[in-house]
Amino acid sequence: MSPQQRLALVEKPERRFALTLVAPGVLVLAVTTTFPLVYLVWQSLQNINLAMPGMERFVGVDNYVRMWGDARFWAAFAFTLIYSGATVSLQLVIGLGMALVILQIPRAQWAFRMAAILPIVLAPVVAGLFWRSLMLTPDFGIVDFASRSLGLGSHNWLGDPTLARVSVIAIHTWQWTPFVFLYMLAALAALPADLYEAARIDRASAWKRFIHITLPLIRPAIVVVVILRITVALSAFAAIYAATGGGPGTVTEIINLYAYRVSFVELSLGYGAAAAVVLLVLTLLVAGLLFRIRR
Amino acid sequence: MKALHSRRKVLQAAAAGVALAGAPWVSKFARAQGAPDLGAYQKAKINWRLAEGQTVNVAVIPASYFENLIALTPEFEALTGVKVRYDKVPPGQIRQKCVLDLSSKTGNISTHAADPMYLPLYAANKWTEPLEPYLNDPKLTDQAWFRYDDIFEAWRKADMVENRTYGIPYDGEMTVQTYRKDLFDAKGLKPAQTLDDVVANAKALHDPNNRMWGFCLRGMPGAGQNMYIYPSILGAYGGKWFDRDGKIRVNSPEAVAALEWYVNTNNAYAPKAAQNWNWPDIADAFAQGTIACYIDGHTAATVIANPERSKVVGKIGFARWPKGPSGKRVTSIWNWAMPINSALPERTRQATWLYIQWAACEETQIRSSFKFKGPGKRYGVNRTSLWSNPEYTKTIADAGDKFLSTSIETLREDTDVDWRPRVAQWPAIGETMAKIIQAALVGQAKPKPALDDAQQQVERIMKGG
Repeated sequence: MSPQQRLALVEKPERRFALTLVAPGVLVLAVTTTFPLVYLVWQSLQNINLAMPGMERFVGVDNYVRMWGDARFWAAFAFTLIYSGATVSLQLVIGLGMALVILQIPRAQWAFRMAAILPIVLAPVVAGLFWRSLMLTPDFGIVDFASRSLGLGSHNWLGDPTLARVSVIAIHTWQWTPFVFLYMLAALAALPADLYEAARIDRASAWKRFIHITLPLIRPAIVVVVILRITVALSAFAAIYAATGGGPGTVTEIINLYAYRVSFVELSLGYGAAAAVVLLVLTLLVAGLLFRIRR
Repeated sequence: MKALHSRRKVLQAAAAGVALAGAPWVSKFARAQGAPDLGAYQKAKINWRLAEGQTVNVAVIPASYFENLIALTPEFEALTGVKVRYDKVPPGQIRQKCVLDLSSKTGNISTHAADPMYLPLYAANKWTEPLEPYLNDPKLTDQAWFRYDDIFEAWRKADMVENRTYGIPYDGEMTVQTYRKDLFDAKGLKPAQTLDDVVANAKALHDPNNRMWGFCLRGMPGAGQNMYIYPSILGAYGGKWFDRDGKIRVNSPEAVAALEWYVNTNNAYAPKAAQNWNWPDIADAFAQGTIACYIDGHTAATVIANPERSKVVGKIGFARWPKGPSGKRVTSIWNWAMPINSALPERTRQATWLYIQWAACEETQIRSSFKFKGPGKRYGVNRTSLWSNPEYTKTIADAGDKFLSTSIETLREDTDVDWRPRVAQWPAIGETMAKIIQAALVGQAKPKPALDDAQQQVERIMKGG
């Protein structure tokens, strides 16, 4: 009997016991996540429109074909990519920069950590409303006040198509950069000091030390934080809903918001489900791609 | 409310007990303290207690006119023995929340403050009851007492789908011109009779450097926001929602002209931020004295004529919608309609009907408006007769110059029940149009191509896509 076979013999009853222990968890997961997901896909293959009762039927991929020619969907698709790309890169650059700076001031670090927690614990819908009513309101908002004080004039931050896009990206970045900052701070604090010492003896400049030592060492942490942030950015909803509602017109509409509107405002449940499925696939693809890079 | 309710029960029990014991003065005392005077309701020749023990769940929006009704509800509970539970849902969410409940047939919401534009959707899905069987059943309704015909005709009609009633109006409003009488008088201006006058007046008073904007309309997108104003302009231009074949047409030449007028006028004379404003924002700005004239719901008088919130009290004038090139004035038709959820068991539906009848009847309308003990006023009582009741006219007279006559004439002359397309697909159409109108307002698209785009989308929606 090889050691492996012996192990398998011991394992068999144990495995059964383990399965029994795991079963309730798997069952709950299946009921609460797997079933709704499968149902969503099924629904996306139907024509279900509450405004037209009696016309429900299986339509195969019709909803997806229609999406192909739907300009509003593609606009939402494009803005989803812009929004996710912009917010995640900004979070990473600002968060890592802050972490590098604040690592050098060990004494007051706790204060920065505390301050960083605050936006994270805000509900996104509160963040959206807070920016809409306190920060960006023309004439009254703090940002508008700053802009006027600097001689840049008052702007319609959430009403102008370009500024509205910049604003919703800024709101998301403001809320989640602290998360990246905290994550990076922890990763940087764990780096071995002797490597830097050696580099200093070799007279490597600060920039070279950053590029050749820090970045490669924290690469796994960066990839993980990017995956975390991008899945959240792709599925963002509440902050934009509260700040602009996807407007003006549809310029800040992301896929998630579009799927919501189609399903629950226009009551076209089949087509809305199809949009949600596309978002799901997009998120899986991006996350899968990043996991690959990580290896 | 719960506390009040139980206190009343204790008092009632006490009063009853003591009355039996032969001490009538205590019972009188108890009534003065809290037991409601239900005499006016008991004149109705129906058995108010026929659904005793039932519970009615009502979804309303948090607005003063519903708060007043909620405050009176213990009287209804004492009258009928039916328990009422309220759920306050913000106006932005109440439609979706109720559609969710109705479509899943859970019956969590017995009746609610319904958007009349949603009634065709409800009717098409048979989610709510046609109300004639309730109105015409002498066991459920004393017609001579309820006098359904006394409710404004425009509102009753707006709550009908294919000649059947699906909702009973509780409160409502119309859109009117609201202007700064002091500024107009100083320059010798008259309230606009035509859309051209609107622009001329705005031009004369527009002075943004001194924080005075000439004119303002809602910019916020939404089936109940900018699509609550644009249809009136469309009507003024003679536009119709349906062509001769009964097909919906949103890009007619009249529609383009109406949208151009809306976009040009608002962009020329309204504050920039108004591109995202809803009526409360406009009312606030007007109350702060920064807007010379606007057109919106007459019920905004609760804000602009409130001395605690407004700097322009006593300087406000009202006038009907201006005429468009077609010579027509078209106001909005709005009321909060109360339907009955079909998913309920029969006894609960009857209890719900009693509740609706109670809320819409003359006595409750009086008690929740000019006889209401709290500060909240109601400007939208549902009955023709009340609008000529001296006590009511006295309470609302201080809203501003010609408030009463404007409101009444507007209701009588300027309503058109088809000012918006009343079809089951309205939620999708209203939403699509709202997005397109705002896109044109902020310059994302020109009115003509925007409406052509809307036409394509609307055609797709009507086909069931």
